[in-house]
Amino acid sequence: MPADKNDGAPVKLSLPLEFQQEIFHELRDQDELLIIARGLGLLRLVTNLLHSYDAAGNNLILLIGADDRENGWIGEALAEHAAISMAPKCRGLSLVNTDLMSVGTREKMYSQGGIFSITSRILIVDLLSGLLDPASITGIVVLHAENVVATSLEAFIVRIYRQKNKVGFLKALSDRPEPFTRGFSPLTTMMRNLFLQTPSLYPRFHVNVAKSLEGKKKAEVIELEVPMTDGMRAIQNAVLECVEVSIGELKKANSGLEMDDWTLDSALHKSFDQIVRRQLDPVWHRTSFRTKQIVRDLTLLRTILHALLTYDAVSFNRYLDTVLAASAPPPGSTRSSQSPWLFLDAAHVIFDTAKRRVYTGKFKDSEIGTGSKTVPDSLHPVLEELPKWALLAEILEEIEREVYFNPIPNDDSNGTILIMCGDQGTCSQLREYLQLMHIRPEEKAKNEDDEDNEGYSADVLMRRRLRNYLNWKRDFAKVSASLFTENQKSINGQTNPKAAQNRGKAPANKRRRVRGGGAAGSVTTRPAGGSVVVAGDRETHIANLLAELEPTEVENMQKGEIGADPLDDMDSYYELYDMNSLLIIHPYDGDMDEHILEEVKPRYVIMYEPDAAFIRRIEVYRSSHNDRNIRVYFMYYGGSIEEQRYLSAVRREKDAFTKFIRERGSMALTIDSTANLDPQEHFLRTINTRIAGGGRLAATAAPPRVVVDVREFRSSLPSLLHGRNMVVVPCMLTVGDYVLTPTICIERKSIKDLIGSFANGRLYNQAETMLQHYKNPMLLIEFEQNKSFTLEPFADLSAPSSNVHASDVQSKLVLLTLAFPRLRIIWSSSPYQTAEIFEALKANQEEPDPLRAVQIGLQAGESPEQTRTFNQTACDMLRTVPGITDKNMSRLTLEVESVQALANMEEESIAELVGKEVARRVTRFFEKNVYDE
Amino acid sequence: SASTKQQTSTSVPAATTPGVQQPKPQALPSRFSASSIIVSPRQKGNPILNNVKSVAWEYGDIPADYVLGATTCALFLSLKYHRLHPSYIYSRIRDLQGKYDLRIILTMVDIDNHEESIKELSKTSLVNNVTIILCWSSQEAGRYLELFKTYEHASPSSIRAHQSTSYADKMVEFITVPRSINKTDALGLVSNFGSIRTAINARPEEVALVAGWGEKKVHRWCNSVREPFRVKKTAKRGVLTRE
Repeated sequence: MPADKNDGAPVKLSLPLEFQQEIFHELRDQDELLIIARGLGLLRLVTNLLHSYDAAGNNLILLIGADDRENGWIGEALAEHAAISMAPKCRGLSLVNTDLMSVGTREKMYSQGGIFSITSRILIVDLLSGLLDPASITGIVVLHAENVVATSLEAFIVRIYRQKNKVGFLKALSDRPEPFTRGFSPLTTMMRNLFLQTPSLYPRFHVNVAKSLEGKKKAEVIELEVPMTDGMRAIQNAVLECVEVSIGELKKANSGLEMDDWTLDSALHKSFDQIVRRQLDPVWHRTSFRTKQIVRDLTLLRTILHALLTYDAVSFNRYLDTVLAASAPPPGSTRSSQSPWLFLDAAHVIFDTAKRRVYTGKFKDSEIGTGSKTVPDSLHPVLEELPKWALLAEILEEIEREVYFNPIPNDDSNGTILIMCGDQGTCSQLREYLQLMHIRPEEKAKNEDDEDNEGYSADVLMRRRLRNYLNWKRDFAKVSASLFTENQKSINGQTNPKAAQNRGKAPANKRRRVRGGGAAGSVTTRPAGGSVVVAGDRETHIANLLAELEPTEVENMQKGEIGADPLDDMDSYYELYDMNSLLIIHPYDGDMDEHILEEVKPRYVIMYEPDAAFIRRIEVYRSSHNDRNIRVYFMYYGGSIEEQRYLSAVRREKDAFTKFIRERGSMALTIDSTANLDPQEHFLRTINTRIAGGGRLAATAAPPRVVVDVREFRSSLPSLLHGRNMVVVPCMLTVGDYVLTPTICIERKSIKDLIGSFANGRLYNQAETMLQHYKNPMLLIEFEQNKSFTLEPFADLSAPSSNVHASDVQSKLVLLTLAFPRLRIIWSSSPYQTAEIFEALKANQEEPDPLRAVQIGLQAGESPEQTRTFNQTACDMLRTVPGITDKNMSRLTLEVESVQALANMEEESIAELVGKEVARRVTRFFEKNVYDE
Repeated sequence: SASTKQQTSTSVPAATTPGVQQPKPQALPSRFSASSIIVSPRQKGNPILNNVKSVAWEYGDIPADYVLGATTCALFLSLKYHRLHPSYIYSRIRDLQGKYDLRIILTMVDIDNHEESIKELSKTSLVNNVTIILCWSSQEAGRYLELFKTYEHASPSSIRAHQSTSYADKMVEFITVPRSINKTDALGLVSNFGSIRTAINARPEEVALVAGWGEKKVHRWCNSVREPFRVKKTAKRGVLTRE
């Protein structure tokens, strides 16, 4: 990494800018919470900091909260630093992030010291089990401090660390100020959770930051506003209307809530649905189906908005087709169970306009009725291009011209052009466009010399897309048919008014069948039911269109679609590209973008989509290098969501910082935050005076002990138990989640888990095994803090024909208690309450034996590590496969590697494991082809 | 179950043989039909009785508040009352004299500061062999009474295993297990690849081409189907398969 060397320091750092050095020294000198604006190079600071410790050697430093990519980044950077500084003591970063590493290995690693990036869940277990002595830790660096809340694992780790170790350092860092701003005095709360006293804030508008970045070496930025097409604008407005109506519905249905924020404006934020979720959270399991559905709709509508700006017209239309099919009503449902926005005129506009961006045409239904195949030009492709494409081509041409006239570069930059866009999908789309933009299908090339955009068009690309789309559409019709035939039958079979209502909103591709030849195709009528019907789904039309799109010779000559680019035979044609003639398309990738800039050294950067953090990265990059000129083209759709979202992101970050600065100004200083840490003292203060001289004097007895399953450390309860001065013993339990006494074993279920594990039968099995092994098995139903302490509304049993359809939680709970009368139920309104209940249950009881708890439920000879380390998601997926029960599951997970392996197994080999019948169902499930039928 | 039947003979005689009149005076009169809930006269005026609609009920002289089946009874407790008369429920439990297999304390949460009382009841449930069921309204309480009676002889099959559904539902359920993948994504995936198997075997770059599948989703999906069910070293797996 080329950088200015800080020669004064004992180690070589790569922090060229003044403010970076300032932050670095600040971090070295004191424990603090650093919040920095995105794009100012947080990771670089972290690696330099870690390196400075690494070079000193003889230490044990823990990095927590880092994700995989950050680990990669830091590991690489540390190695690089070590090489540059030639510090002999550097050992680089060690990762502890899977359960694969055995206890022994970990112990050995810890004893050797170094810098460790450890998954919080593993670290907490190691700290509690004594594998890693907190006193031996030199210091802890917490990344993503914004995620640390009072009950989080990180806060738990820091608490244990600070209880036993008061001298080690502790630094918390974050580059996302926005999530902090929730609640009252967020900064203080955060610092209390982290046992830190000094906040340090570096927004973009910090004096030193501004000074460093706004010097002479400024990047040249050219802002380009692209107008949207009429079609896009129409769709955007229509979607916004749908959003507005949805919000209105939401407000109507939930009048008791604080809803000032629920405006169209805030609905455009990426996090709007999260905001709504958070506000509804306290009552989430009690909100009506409709409310939940609208919240889901809002997420969907936002995705549609995003897709509108990024997908090409054909892909967008295709996405809408999927959306429509997925929101088809479940069998026998009534209108009320459908998403309300689908019934709006605006929804019709969305689907119709999207289609018209792809193809238009008029057709008469009589022609189809007669089966005449002579309706040649009933449909013809429109294939609207994205406006940004042409602009991109123009910019590239401009750059080319410039390079041509000023061929000799006068600086250190490469001639590379870097195009940055939102995601991989856009990347491949742009790549394809740039490859094909100069080629035209023959017939067009001849007669369209007068077209204004000379030279480039996406015709070939779009025709190719449309062909694919039409082929897909045929298949998709079949897919929907085969997936939803039952629905259709049940809907058509009914003769009551419900059926009539349902007619209008049959799944997208079934419309044809439902409507018969009656309704006029291209006319935008909508049936009384209200759902959207758009013309142009008839197969004859598709066939005609497809025929018209028959690839021309020129098109055939082109390389096949790029799409997924398999790098299988990469090695065979390895070569270094000349950086000067390179065009690189890359998606935004957070801090990794810094690497791209440093490595590519581009002279031209085209930001295909706006991104505030990236602009800062360019500023930092430019200011860090004297001799690298860079020109940035920055494009966005004028008056679009994209623009608004960008502006509001910038504004929200600024607001967040302003709020912090204000809070810091008025912050009360806690003199000694370690005072409340001494468990002994706390315990003595709360000693129960009613025991007097009689009972066991608790102060001298060993503190109460709870055996906790290691997987439970994902929840906040272990942290709270520890907070109540219980000794938490992490173990691999086969039966139960918590063992309180030799006889009491507890299975904890949150409401969501409860519903889920009733549905898949897991709870029944768990209750059964608990009963086998413990005298007092208990089911803990734990509600969430701040969530309403009630179960979901129940179905009305007194409704006619009280057929035993146990669907609500209440009925299942009744079935469970009837099946297991000995199973006790504990109701707890929050994890805090649970901790108290546990204390009460344990009072005057014997302490549990961890060794015995681990052994319970194991077959002879099995070791707990072997049987219990599951990957939850994979197992949950397996559980949903037809035929899989808890019993045959354990065998499958032993013998079969993964879901993929199972899906590719022969039926016979599966039959050997679980029997023929199940094997047949499993293979059928995996291989059923939805195109058939 | 076996234990249930055993209990029947000792605690609630003859409730299982309707129609046969037994004249002898007994703690639990048998003249009640087995299909109705027996309500203690103490409960007269309790609003939850208005909400017991789908099951018949009648008054009878019983130590519990409600008899919901041959081996099931319930005591009703309002937390408001419990706070005023904390010893009431214990005397009632004592009156049950260890009868009944499943002894419910149907607890109405009608106060705001319920934590302390519920904590105490949790402890009680352990000591005194009662099962706490919380309810928040008289409708819900009535509903529980109905349910216990209705399901008296029902098999627990509906909570025992997965309820079979159509292929479409199953497919959606399967694909949407990894977080953040929704129904639209599931449909898009399968319609693109044809079958679940092909979708599972698809490379991440291929999945990324499906509309709506962003990087995170692709990553989660591909990881979930490829990650091993059990975390362990390859060496151990070798041993196991040889067994």
